[in-house]
Amino acid sequence: MSSYLPRALVFALLTAVLAFPLGYFGQPWMGWALFYLGLGLQLAYHYRNFARLERWSRRPMLDASLEGDGEWDSVFRRLYSHEKELLAKIEQRERDIARLIAAVHVMNDGVVLLDGFFQIQFCNKTAERQLGLNATTDRGAPISNIVRQPEFIDYIDSRDFTRPLILRLERYFERVLSLYVITYAEDSWLLQVKDVTQTDKLDRMRRDFVANVSHELRTPLTVLAGFLETLQEIDFDADERQRYLGMMAEQSKRMQSIVQDLLTLSSIESAPPPENDPVDMASLVDKLRRDAEALCAGRHTIAVVSEGQGDLCGCEPELVSAFGNLVANAVRYTPDGGTVTISWKVSAEGAEFAVSDTGIGIDAKHIPRLTERFYRVDRGRSRDAGGTGLGLAIVKHSLNRHQATLEITSKLGEGSRFAAHFPSSRVVLTA
Amino acid sequence: MSDSQHVSSQFDEDLSRLRSHVLQMGGLVETQVAAAIEAYSNGEVGSVKTIVETDRRVNELEKAIDDDCAHIIAKRQPTASDLRLVLGISKIVTDLERAGDEAKKIAKGVRRIYEGGHLPAQYGVGIRHLAEAALNLVRQALDAFARLDTEQAKSVIRLDSEVDVEFKSIIRQLITHMMEDPRTITTSIDIITIARAIERIGDHAKNVSEQVIYVVEGRDIRHNKEAAK
Repeated sequence: MSSYLPRALVFALLTAVLAFPLGYFGQPWMGWALFYLGLGLQLAYHYRNFARLERWSRRPMLDASLEGDGEWDSVFRRLYSHEKELLAKIEQRERDIARLIAAVHVMNDGVVLLDGFFQIQFCNKTAERQLGLNATTDRGAPISNIVRQPEFIDYIDSRDFTRPLILRLERYFERVLSLYVITYAEDSWLLQVKDVTQTDKLDRMRRDFVANVSHELRTPLTVLAGFLETLQEIDFDADERQRYLGMMAEQSKRMQSIVQDLLTLSSIESAPPPENDPVDMASLVDKLRRDAEALCAGRHTIAVVSEGQGDLCGCEPELVSAFGNLVANAVRYTPDGGTVTISWKVSAEGAEFAVSDTGIGIDAKHIPRLTERFYRVDRGRSRDAGGTGLGLAIVKHSLNRHQATLEITSKLGEGSRFAAHFPSSRVVLTA
Repeated sequence: MSDSQHVSSQFDEDLSRLRSHVLQMGGLVETQVAAAIEAYSNGEVGSVKTIVETDRRVNELEKAIDDDCAHIIAKRQPTASDLRLVLGISKIVTDLERAGDEAKKIAKGVRRIYEGGHLPAQYGVGIRHLAEAALNLVRQALDAFARLDTEQAKSVIRLDSEVDVEFKSIIRQLITHMMEDPRTITTSIDIITIARAIERIGDHAKNVSEQVIYVVEGRDIRHNKEAAK
């Protein structure tokens, strides 16, 4: 085992051997004195080392000055290496925990840890943002103190978490969150927060779309059916008959154009990326101007502004239909005597095709939704003008396929400007 | 020793439950105000009924909390900051209840306007902005109370004066409209009532913040503009 006991005995024996002759031949007290002195020295030596150990144990830390003599040194060395190992282990654990926490913080979902009383123990940065929490000040506070919406409090109080709670936040308008409460240990709850604003919006758009399509098709269909019934029951003279048939034809044409636009939209959506043929913009702009002049029949001034020499790469029919749509809209929504300006600017940085008018303008609140299908600022007026409600949706899709963005600026009563920005990769300069 | 500790922790629990109830009531008032703004912007008169119903819950909570405050004072005889908390709460509750009443007033005004025809577009944006600012004040005041954060409370007091300025400019605008076109007077008066109610909501939020400062710092800064800085 250890040589510590024998060595102590050897030292004691040695003192005895030295002390014995002195006591035997000299005075006995001298012998005893030497013997005790020897033992005392050994004791003092051990005590000194013990004192070091005692001092260290009050504040155990990695201390290089912890050095002993003889047997004590190995004890101290073992303690030292044990301490070092422990420290390394703790550091490793701390690094692991810090990494885990950092990972939790950057998660896209909010995470809040709650105790049995639904008091906040921890929350990640996403949850701070989503729910307006503050990880430092709100620790230990009941979560319902900060997230005070009655639906949330009722949900927590019900303790029934089989379904997630869909919460429309009042703190941040227009945000929709889906909240899951999961128990992960005894008396510990985890609140997971998912931002479902986008999905919620898509759901609503899909519902709206189906409702809108049915509504848009039903209106002309009702008119058509009504006229048919009338014609079946009442005998009209040839002139009136002709008039009714004309109106019916008009309605069926309307339905046809809606279906046509829907088909265009779905074919654009599912078609492969547009080819990369150069499109002669000078002649395209000229054609647009002639079309616009034909459409407005002299009631407006059509101006053309052109800057730089260059063409676009893309699918010509799609671009013609998108640009034509913008021009037709401008003509349609500009009162007589107004001006419609078609502008084409191209440079090495990119290109911009814009149509601006001096028309009725659009209220700012409608602009973000303008390219939604069947979205109309004014239902009656749009239909009178012969619109299907799909024009701008088609424009936006066609432009998207050419990596272009549609920028709409408008002021009520002063006019609007629709600009398509194309990236430089779509531009061919013809110096 | 352990007995007294038990009693005091029971007391702490009572106080924290009281605070949670106040914040729960605050949550209801926030919902009322937000619903009133929504009703104003999109004319959903249906939500007016829910606002009125929520008001009943708010009133019940007010009574219950007041009752709890009286009980705590009588049974526990709180001192120092605990006493300030209980006193502050009983005042905050009154302000919250009144803010709820103002929300109800907005809702009823909205119903009158939409029943009488459409909302004139030019008033929509200004009032909505004012209302959102006021709702934000209520929210921040309640957050300040939840966290006992005097800095935020002070910022609410500062922001309330901005709401007041905005309110005055809306009133001036409405007066001009009424002078130009007397036919708008009926609607304008309803809108003034609504704007007034919104401005009052901001004031109640300010009062709540003043109580938060009283609870935390023990200073009464009501009617003292310098002290709030």
